[in-house]
Amino acid sequence: MSTTQRILPKGVSEADFDTALSRFREIVGADSVLTEGSQLAPYTKIMMAGDDRDYIPSAAVMPTSAEQVQAIVRTCNEFKVPIWTISTGKNLGYGSAAPGETGQVILDLHRMNRILEVDPDSCTALVEPGVTYQQLYDYIQEKGHKLWLSVPAPSAIAGPVGNTLDRGVGYTPYGEHFMFQCGMEVVLANGEMIRTGMGGIENSTSWQVFKWGYGPYLDGLFSQSNYGVVTKMGLWLMPEPPAYRPFLIQYPDPEDIEEIVEIMRPLRIAQIIPNAVVIVHTLWDAGTHVERKAYYDGTESIPREAIERIKQDEGIGEWNIYAALYGTPEQIEVNWNIIEQAFSKSGKAQIMFGAEAEKRGGGFEYRSALMKGEMNLQEFGLYNWRGGGGSMWFAPVSQAKGSETRDQTELAQQILGKYGFDYVAEYIVGWRDMHHVIDLLYNRQDPEETRRAHDCFAELIDEFAKRGYGLYRTNNEFMEQVAGTFGEPLREVHTTLKRALDPNGILSPGKSGIRL
Amino acid sequence: MQHTKTPPSRHLSAYRLGALALFGALLLPTTLSAGEPDAREPAEVYRQVCAHCHAPDKAVGPVITNAFPEAAQEAWVNYIRMTVRNGRAAMPSFRPAKISDTELDALSAALARGDFADTAAGEE
Repeated sequence: MSTTQRILPKGVSEADFDTALSRFREIVGADSVLTEGSQLAPYTKIMMAGDDRDYIPSAAVMPTSAEQVQAIVRTCNEFKVPIWTISTGKNLGYGSAAPGETGQVILDLHRMNRILEVDPDSCTALVEPGVTYQQLYDYIQEKGHKLWLSVPAPSAIAGPVGNTLDRGVGYTPYGEHFMFQCGMEVVLANGEMIRTGMGGIENSTSWQVFKWGYGPYLDGLFSQSNYGVVTKMGLWLMPEPPAYRPFLIQYPDPEDIEEIVEIMRPLRIAQIIPNAVVIVHTLWDAGTHVERKAYYDGTESIPREAIERIKQDEGIGEWNIYAALYGTPEQIEVNWNIIEQAFSKSGKAQIMFGAEAEKRGGGFEYRSALMKGEMNLQEFGLYNWRGGGGSMWFAPVSQAKGSETRDQTELAQQILGKYGFDYVAEYIVGWRDMHHVIDLLYNRQDPEETRRAHDCFAELIDEFAKRGYGLYRTNNEFMEQVAGTFGEPLREVHTTLKRALDPNGILSPGKSGIRL
Repeated sequence: MQHTKTPPSRHLSAYRLGALALFGALLLPTTLSAGEPDAREPAEVYRQVCAHCHAPDKAVGPVITNAFPEAAQEAWVNYIRMTVRNGRAAMPSFRPAKISDTELDALSAALARGDFADTAAGEE
């Protein structure tokens, strides 16, 4: 497809598209409908290993209110125009602000950026999709509320609605973000608007405090899906604790992951360690501030010898655990003693906090900021590890069991090694599960390397699925393949729901592999 | 209970309100707002967005606060605009919805002049 030709939504005539664009201009104003190539360029910047020509929008529409969204989707239904919804569009490595496929119109909700309510007593917030974490953080600081956010690594430039709806995670005790979401306002494909949970009750005071409402619980249907456009979302905020102790535990050897997870699991389930802990591999911990070429300039996967040198030179373990304690100083002391005792048994762990941890060469400073919900993008130093702007997060779920963790690590290293890529990874520990997050870093300016990254990612998906491991989330290029690993019966239900709620298939076709 | 609410951050356009009314979609007229967002000061955009990667102590992206000679400022301003809108390698693109054209013009001019050359990362 030539980029000089006019790009149209799939199956839509030029005349119908022009009429739809005119309607959009009437709804949001001419300045808020983008159709020129130069205006649409920011939506086409991707980090995943797809063909740029597959991710070019035909237009972008920027509403500022839910009522405008209602009018837009009604127009889309009339002319069968597909729209791809984004909020802040900073889901870097998962698709960014690009459409699901070329020709879709971007429904860009970034200008719906009002913080509608923050209740410092109930510790809740109600926000629109365009609100960034930075904006909410600044607001809370300005008001002097003693509330903490839980943010993902892109923190400042991303936002709670988009991250939560994609079931992203942060690093505080509220790190499983969808668990701490409460109440939504959703515009359906037919233009109707609903409020979930208690929000359907007129003048309800409990919309942001009671998740379940009455009858079937619907909120999950609007996460990682294309069944509606979420225009408001409630979330819970963590009260600032009287004391906070981030800490670091380092282990020296690859096989130690098994011991770490076996010790960690009961501590997490019992909430002795309450936050979303990370167990970070050497290359991730170093990669946020060290460039690969300082240790190895070859095209193969970085050799073991170089990894050992990094560990020694940078003061980084093979596995580096970043966790934190929250509460009164007395509570922290009690839990700290339990943790020290548990991790001291084998004699392999180095356990530290405060100045001792800060002196180590990993990411203690920025991890300490993230574990208290402060804005920090230091993690994106990872993009300098290999350079070239290619990144895809391969993120299979694991149960928190040592043997399984070792199996996943070895499988990933084997497949990445086959394609010449590095194992740049961490485990994010939930209550009983772990997100095994691997950043497949590659040089996107090299077409051969990009193709190799694509093939590697595809093989990772298939081989992990064969052993019973599925992904919790993926980028636009691989949504269809990942959906396939979860089986046809589930996909049929997803399609049935799509048919019922969006019979013209106008909302984000292809999201999570769901389309008509 | 001490609830806090933010006022709508944008102006209500009579033209757009009229257009919306045509669609009979005004369920919540008190929350309706439309139009261009209020432009943030360049220093605020730098603090909220750029500094997280480009502040000298972050080193995720290159330092961008050094002043350019006057004769080269226009070229540098154009380069900044192009990089912000298109992205470059690991640098993400930023859409007008995130940094408006007005904000980007002021930001790129301020960066080229070196207005934030002494901005310490700790100021964020």
